[in-house]
Amino acid sequence: MPQILEAAGLVKHFGDLVAVGGVDIGISRGETYGLLGPNGAGKTTTISMISGLLEPDAGSISVDGQQITTSSTSGKGAIGLVPQDLAIYPDLTGSENLTFFGRLYGMAGPSLGSRVDEVLEVIGLTDRRDDLTGEYSGGMKRRLNIGIGLLHKPQLLILDEPTVGVDPQSRNAILESVENLSVEGMAVLYTTHYMEEAERLCDRVAIIDEGTIKAEGTRRELVSMVGEKDRISISATGNLGAAAEALSALDGVVGAATSDDGLDILAVDASSILPSILTTVTASGASITGVQVVEPNLEAVFLHLTGKALRD
Amino acid sequence: MRTALRIAVKDLKLRLRDRSALIIGIIAPLSLAFILNLVFGSAFDPTEGLGLEYGVVDLDQSEISMSFTDVLEEVEADGIMELESFPDAQSADAAIEEGVVDSYFLVEPGFGQAVGTNSPATIQVVGSIDSPTSTQIAASIADQFATGFEAAQLAIATTSQVTSTPVTPEFLESLESEPRTAALSYQFGDMSAATRQLDPTTYMAAGMAVFFLFFTVGFGVLGLLEEERQGTLTRLMAAPIARASVVGGKAILSFILGLISMFVLVVATQLLMGAEWGAPLGVALLVVSGVLSAVGIVGLVAGVAKTPEGAENLSSIIAVILGMLGGVFFQVGQSDDLLSKLTFITPHAWFMRGLADLADGASWTAALPATGAMLIFAVVTGAISWFMLMKRLRR
Repeated sequence: MPQILEAAGLVKHFGDLVAVGGVDIGISRGETYGLLGPNGAGKTTTISMISGLLEPDAGSISVDGQQITTSSTSGKGAIGLVPQDLAIYPDLTGSENLTFFGRLYGMAGPSLGSRVDEVLEVIGLTDRRDDLTGEYSGGMKRRLNIGIGLLHKPQLLILDEPTVGVDPQSRNAILESVENLSVEGMAVLYTTHYMEEAERLCDRVAIIDEGTIKAEGTRRELVSMVGEKDRISISATGNLGAAAEALSALDGVVGAATSDDGLDILAVDASSILPSILTTVTASGASITGVQVVEPNLEAVFLHLTGKALRD
Repeated sequence: MRTALRIAVKDLKLRLRDRSALIIGIIAPLSLAFILNLVFGSAFDPTEGLGLEYGVVDLDQSEISMSFTDVLEEVEADGIMELESFPDAQSADAAIEEGVVDSYFLVEPGFGQAVGTNSPATIQVVGSIDSPTSTQIAASIADQFATGFEAAQLAIATTSQVTSTPVTPEFLESLESEPRTAALSYQFGDMSAATRQLDPTTYMAAGMAVFFLFFTVGFGVLGLLEEERQGTLTRLMAAPIARASVVGGKAILSFILGLISMFVLVVATQLLMGAEWGAPLGVALLVVSGVLSAVGIVGLVAGVAKTPEGAENLSSIIAVILGMLGGVFFQVGQSDDLLSKLTFITPHAWFMRGLADLADGASWTAALPATGAMLIFAVVTGAISWFMLMKRLRR
């Protein structure tokens, strides 16, 4: 299948800091590609270069066969960008926001009007189309933010952590919308630090940390990298940081990190090492409320590859 | 260009919606011009009297004391003040109480003799507590007259000593009544070009219009920083449009807002306040070049500021400094001093000068020098700010 996005050898420095150190990404039509990594991993810098906002120090980018640079205008028309921060005019209505940005992408006349109606329907804002967006709820603003990005039917839609700070209901609506986009044949580049979103939406995922891609593939391919190792999920309270540190020093433990409700541990053989793990956690001052040995997921892959949790 | 216009139209819609541009661009300058004209209008008008009403009580009735009254009458004849003579201090006090006069000059008996014998001689100024400024002016007039006499006394004494001639009536006659020639000179207010030719109403209207112009055009170019903060600049830069369209759109909006503001103020002050702006074509040239220079200068602010708040503060400081130096509130400096020359480093001064040149029915071509000067401001500051803003968008 022909690739919509071809980015090769992307490098970006900010002074002495290497924000992105040689990233390659290729995305095909109809494919949703996830860029999974913690905050500061280089996700936003990478997509800023791909969307023509930032000039790379090295490397090349083409979208739908057209080179992308900060000064090139032709290729940018094939990209739809949904920035992490809201990028809408609060003193314009939802409909006016869409119309203005549609015109910047060369749309005009009745086709623009009907496309605006269509997008408002998709993002569920038809009833509020004539209200100033400053009066919208946070979730509605997020949906409009996405709607502007897909208004001109781009070949490649880039979504930069679109669910950050969104309530669960709106988050689900956003994820459903993104799922439908690949069905329509759009290539989607989705950055997130939420493992569940990457697992749910993406056909392929690249795990990025410290400006480089550590691994790339389908979920199955990535999880297989963990091999025969077991993932142990411990529900616990107390000094979890100290417990994770102590666990990492244990023989047979590949990695340990805190999670939302306790600890995530990747071990070579759960059955043999579990007693030592429980003893270590208790000795570190944490109280255990539950233990599960579960199938490895992308969180476990990240732990395996970097030795730290996604949320670190 | 089309994209720049689209951005400008979108911004214009936003500005009209939040009404801030309307308030800063039209309502504030119009109100301030109206109030200033009401309060200070007559004080700035050289064609009207200053409203000074003085009395004089000459209890000496000598030749010298009468010469003082003569001098005051000359000043009255020039329309600077109104003078009334009173026979005694009591009637003059009563006139002050009734508000007939603000102050009066009291020449005590023996004044002439004292002057003739080189003894201390005084003219008293008695003023109303309600008219301190008027009384101060009266005291200055008396001081100036007394200084003339002191000079004359010194001249008489010196001549007497040098010629070894005693001071006799004959000797004094031979000096041709020297004190009489110590005429009172007076000057109220500055008489340089702008105030000499612009009537106070037009001066206030023009001053406020060009002063607030620098705030009004800020709604355009400074909007670039607002776009940056609210994240929409990222979307604009990701769109298939040139960077120049974004900067151009902001500059066009500044220009449009400036023109609208100036046009409304010119028409409104002419209709409501009776301001006389001069030949329409000349005024149009001054307005266009003035707006362009304001866009260029405020563009520099947008180029150096880090945040919208910083830009607004810096722009306000620059607008106030340039406005005051440019003489939008009152004329700065005398005609040939350094400060007066410094005013012409501001577009404001050129704008006011251009209008002054158009006064009294002059042809529109009279505005060309000031127009040219402001266009130079516009080109220089505009080029630098364009470069800075384009660089700002290149990341």
